[in-house]
Amino acid sequence: MRLLKGIKIAVILKIVLVTIALAVLGFLMQAALLAGDTQIGIFFGIAIFLIALVYFTRISIPLKFFLPGVLLLATFVITPVVYTISMSAYQYKTGNILSKPEALKMLKSNDAFAQVPDEKKFDLKLGWCDEKYGDPKDVANAPVCALVSYYPDNIYFLSTATTLTPLTRDRIIFNKVGLPADVTKVGAKFTWEPFYEDEYATFDKTIASTRFKYSKPGTFMQAEGYSVMAVYAQRIVYDAKADTFTDIKTGFVYKDNGRGNYANTKNGKDVMYPGWREVVWFENFVNLVNDPSVRDPLVAVFIWTCIFAVTTVVTQFALGLLIALTLHTKMRGRWIYRSIIILPYAMPSIMSIMIWGGMLNTDFGAVNNLIGLIVGHPVHLTWLTDPTLARTSVLLVNLWLGFPYFYLISTGALQAIPAELTEAAAIDGASGGQTFRKITLPLLMQMLSPLLISSFAFNFNNFNLIYLLTGGGPKDTLSGQSAGATDILISYTYNLAFNKGTQNFGLASAVSIVIFVAVAAISLYGIRRSKVLESFV
Amino acid sequence: MIFLKWFLTKSWRHAIAWAVCFFALFPLYMIVLTSFKKTTSLQVGSFLPTGFSLTNFNSLLTNPTVPFYTWMSNSVIIAAFVSVVSVFIGAASAFAFSRLRFRGKKASIQLLLLIQMFPAVLALSAVYSIMDRVHAFAPSIGLGTIGGLVLVYLGGAMGVNIWLLKGFVDSIPIELDEAARVDGASPMQIYWRIFLPLASPVLAVVCLLSFIGTFNEYILASLFLNDPSQQTIAVGLHGFISGQFATNWGPFAAGSLLASLPIVVLFLSLQKYIVNGLTAGAVKG
Repeated sequence: MRLLKGIKIAVILKIVLVTIALAVLGFLMQAALLAGDTQIGIFFGIAIFLIALVYFTRISIPLKFFLPGVLLLATFVITPVVYTISMSAYQYKTGNILSKPEALKMLKSNDAFAQVPDEKKFDLKLGWCDEKYGDPKDVANAPVCALVSYYPDNIYFLSTATTLTPLTRDRIIFNKVGLPADVTKVGAKFTWEPFYEDEYATFDKTIASTRFKYSKPGTFMQAEGYSVMAVYAQRIVYDAKADTFTDIKTGFVYKDNGRGNYANTKNGKDVMYPGWREVVWFENFVNLVNDPSVRDPLVAVFIWTCIFAVTTVVTQFALGLLIALTLHTKMRGRWIYRSIIILPYAMPSIMSIMIWGGMLNTDFGAVNNLIGLIVGHPVHLTWLTDPTLARTSVLLVNLWLGFPYFYLISTGALQAIPAELTEAAAIDGASGGQTFRKITLPLLMQMLSPLLISSFAFNFNNFNLIYLLTGGGPKDTLSGQSAGATDILISYTYNLAFNKGTQNFGLASAVSIVIFVAVAAISLYGIRRSKVLESFV
Repeated sequence: MIFLKWFLTKSWRHAIAWAVCFFALFPLYMIVLTSFKKTTSLQVGSFLPTGFSLTNFNSLLTNPTVPFYTWMSNSVIIAAFVSVVSVFIGAASAFAFSRLRFRGKKASIQLLLLIQMFPAVLALSAVYSIMDRVHAFAPSIGLGTIGGLVLVYLGGAMGVNIWLLKGFVDSIPIELDEAARVDGASPMQIYWRIFLPLASPVLAVVCLLSFIGTFNEYILASLFLNDPSQQTIAVGLHGFISGQFATNWGPFAAGSLLASLPIVVLFLSLQKYIVNGLTAGAVKG
C-alpha cells in the first residue's frame, strides 16, 4: 500500500497535471504520425516516455526539476543549433536548396527540352478525337486531340500524345477569319470535335502537360496557350547508369561534381541549375580564409564588431561611472536626477531604438534641428547614410540605451566599498584623485569586470540595435559590397542567410560557428574570472 | 560664504547631472511631443510644442486597420506567459543545480552555458522549418501562431537568469534545507515549501526582467507572425515607420508612449529590487 500511503493534495495535483501533459503530447504525437511526420512523432513519443518515467518513478530526483526545461531546450535550441552546425558542412545556398532527387527531377523535366528555334509555330485548335483514340464521353481518360495547321504550307493534321493523323485541306472547315475551326465528318462517323468553351479551363492542366506527337523523330509539340503549337526537341539526355547529362547539340557531358551540381567535364565552371545541397565538409570554412570576396568583408565586419562592442562598453561604463561618482554624495534633488537618469533604461529598448531612428533623419530629424539651433544655421548631417556618421550614431544610441545600467551597478558597487578604506587613504595623505585611482577604481573593476565582460558579449551580438537603427547600412550595393558600414557579425550573417536576393545558408552557418566560438571564449573567460562556475560545482 | 562653498563643491555635480538628464530626456521628450502634435506628423522633427491635440491617439486607436489593443494584449499575454513559465523552469533548474547532488552536474551546467551562447538569431531558419512542420499537423501551435512563438521563446527558459537565481538559492542558508530534511521533507517539499516562498521576491524581479525582455523581442516575432491580428506591439508599431513611402511618426510615437508607459512605471516602482538583481548579474533585454 505504499502507493496510497503518501497521497495528499500535492500528489493528486501532480498526477493530474502530468496526466494532462501526457494526454496533450499523446494527442500531438498521434496527429504528427497521422500527418506522416514520423520524426516529430517519434520525438513526442520519447518526450511522453521520459515524462512518465521521471514523474511516476523515483529514477532520478534532479530530472524532476530539469525535465520541462530540458525538453524545451532540446526542441527549440539544441536541435536548431545542431542543424545549423551541420549545415556549415554543406553547399547550401540559392541554386543549391533542393535535395538531389528533387533537383534531378526538375532538371529532367524543365531543362531537358528546348524549343527548336527554326521550326514553324502552328495554329492550334483543341478538341477530342473519335472513338479510335478513345471514348469522348469518358472525359477523364479521353486524350486531348489537337487540330494543328500551318495555313501557308497547306499542312493540316490531328495530333495526340501517341498518334498523328494527316488531313487534307478539303476536310477542314474554316472560321470567319480563315483559321481552321472544325473537321468535316466522313459519313455519319464522328471524327473530331472542338472543345466547348468551358472545357479549356477544365482541362487546362492536361493541355499544358501533354506532349503532342510531331513528325520528326526526337521532337514533340507543346501548346503555348490555347491557339499556338510549338515544336520542342530534346536538348540534354540523362544517362541513369552513369548519372550524367549529355548536351545533344554541343556534345558536352555534365557530371555530378560532388559539390551539388552537374558540371561540364571540360569546364568545371559550366554547371547546370538547379543544383542540390551537398556535403562539402570544411569548404565554407576554407572560403572564410581563402576567398577574398568572403574573407575581406568578414574581416572588416569582425574588426568593426570588436570596435563597436569595446567602445560601447567603455563609453557606457565611463558615463555611468561619472554620474555615479557625481551623485555619490548628499545633494539636493538627487533622487530626481536618479529617476530621470534611469528612464532610458526603463523604457523598452525597441521603442527607443526606433524613435532614435526618426530623430536622426537628415532633413527632418530632431538631432539636426537641435544642432542647427545651437550653431545658428540649418545643418544636414547624414546620420544614417554616411558610413562614419552611421557608426557614430550607432554608438551614440547605444550609449543612451546602456549608460543608466552602468550608473546603477556602479552606484551599487560604490556603496559596497567600505568607507574605512577611503578614510584610511585620506588620513595617510592621499589626494582625492589618488584615492580614486589606487583604491576605488581597482575595487570597482574587480567587482564589475564580470558584468563588463557579459555586457561586451551582449553587445557583440546586439542584433536589435543594428537591425532596427541602420539595418547594417549604409551599404554600397552597386559596387558589390556585401557588408554595410555598421554591420556587426550577427547582422551580417543574418543578411547572408535571409537576404531577399541570394541566400547562402552554408556560409552563414559557418560564420555562426565562428561567432559562437568567439562569444563562448569571451564569456568563458569572464566566467572563469568571476569564479561563478566554481561555486556551482 | 556658504554659497561659495556650495558653488565649489556641489555646483559642478549639478551641472553634470543637468547635462546627463538633458541627454536622457531628449528622445523621451520627442516621443511625448510628437505624439501630442496636432497633425499626424510625418517626422520626429521640431522640438518646440506647437499645440496640444489627441489626433495621433485617435488615429491610432480608432483606425480599424490598426488593431492597437490586440497588439498590446498579444504582447502582454506572450510576455506574461513566457516570463512566468520561464522563471518557474529556471528556478527549478537553479534549485537543482544548487542543492541536489547528481552525476554530471559540472558537465551539464557547462553544456547549458555553452548552448546559451549560440547566437539565437542564426538558428532561425532551423526553428522556422521545425515550426513549419509542426504547423502541418497542429495548426494551433505551429508557425504563424502565438502559441508556437511562446514555445520557441521558452526554449531558452532553462538558462534564463540562472546566475541570479543560483546566486539567490546559494544565499538561502543550507541549514534550512537540512532542518527540513531531518524533519523528513523530500527535495520536492523543500523546493515547494521552503525555497519558493523565500525566493518569491527575487522571482518577481526576474519575472519582470524576463517580461521586458520578451516584450522587446522583435525579429522572431516579425518572422513568425504575419497576420496583423496576431502581431505583437513591437512588430505592429514598426509597420508605421518601415513603409517605404509613408512613415507615420505621429501614431508611432503615440503608440510607443502608450506601450512603454506601464513598463516604465513598473520598472521605476520596483527599481530597488531590480537594481539588486542587476548587480547580481541579471539581464534585461
